[in-house]
Amino acid sequence: MADTDTLTYTEEATAIDLPWNVIVHDDPVNLMGYVTLILMKIFGYDEKKAAVLMMQVHKLGKSIVWTGQREKAEFYVQQLQAHQLKTTLEKAE
Amino acid sequence: MKAMPTLEGGLRIDAENARDWEFLRSIITDAQPVGPDLASRLGGLITEDAGAEDWQEFVVPDLRESFNDELNQVAAAIESAAYHAGNEVGALWITPDDAYPWYSALNQARLALEDQFHFGPSESIKLKSLPVESRAAFLRSMFYTDIQGLLLEYVMVRP
Repeated sequence: MADTDTLTYTEEATAIDLPWNVIVHDDPVNLMGYVTLILMKIFGYDEKKAAVLMMQVHKLGKSIVWTGQREKAEFYVQQLQAHQLKTTLEKAE
Repeated sequence: MKAMPTLEGGLRIDAENARDWEFLRSIITDAQPVGPDLASRLGGLITEDAGAEDWQEFVVPDLRESFNDELNQVAAAIESAAYHAGNEVGALWITPDDAYPWYSALNQARLALEDQFHFGPSESIKLKSLPVESRAAFLRSMFYTDIQGLLLEYVMVRP
């Protein structure tokens, strides 16, 4: 009877968890001042930064207003939608 | 009808007759969507890989409840003020605490009107070329925008 050896290999794989983008889209109803105010209220941005992001929404049709961990991104999207802003969640490339 | 900021940091809307109260009540009727409601449409923006199913199950009902609560709060404020004014000359006060529900209700009304009539940017609207029903809806939408502008300028304080 031949001896049988059992070899055990352990592999560890590490994948980078991609961040998620919170994106606000332009719409025909929300006022520019309101969008700025909500970005300040939810993210704590100063007025200058919030206004720059708002202008991106207005002129480019959308703006990535925050990037980071998925759970937190979901929370922000929920908050922005609760303020009636057209908001989506996308994996960052 | 007149609207003005108050010394207490709120807004006061003076109604002059029954027609003004009806006009204010139209915020609530205009906010009723013709198609899918606002919560569903916002929820529909979430893609499968972003968790659309969970979003529909857990977030959309909360959004719907919140938007309805805000509308109900504004409807109650209008009815209470109209009742105290005997549906004639009287005032309606919007305190700073009420500003967000009011802004939301006005936004819901404007969104629903936009969905129904597709006005687009107000600068490009030629009022005389609109059919009568659209013209009236557009004027209401402009009034709602003006109230929102006053709320933003005088009541909704920067954080």
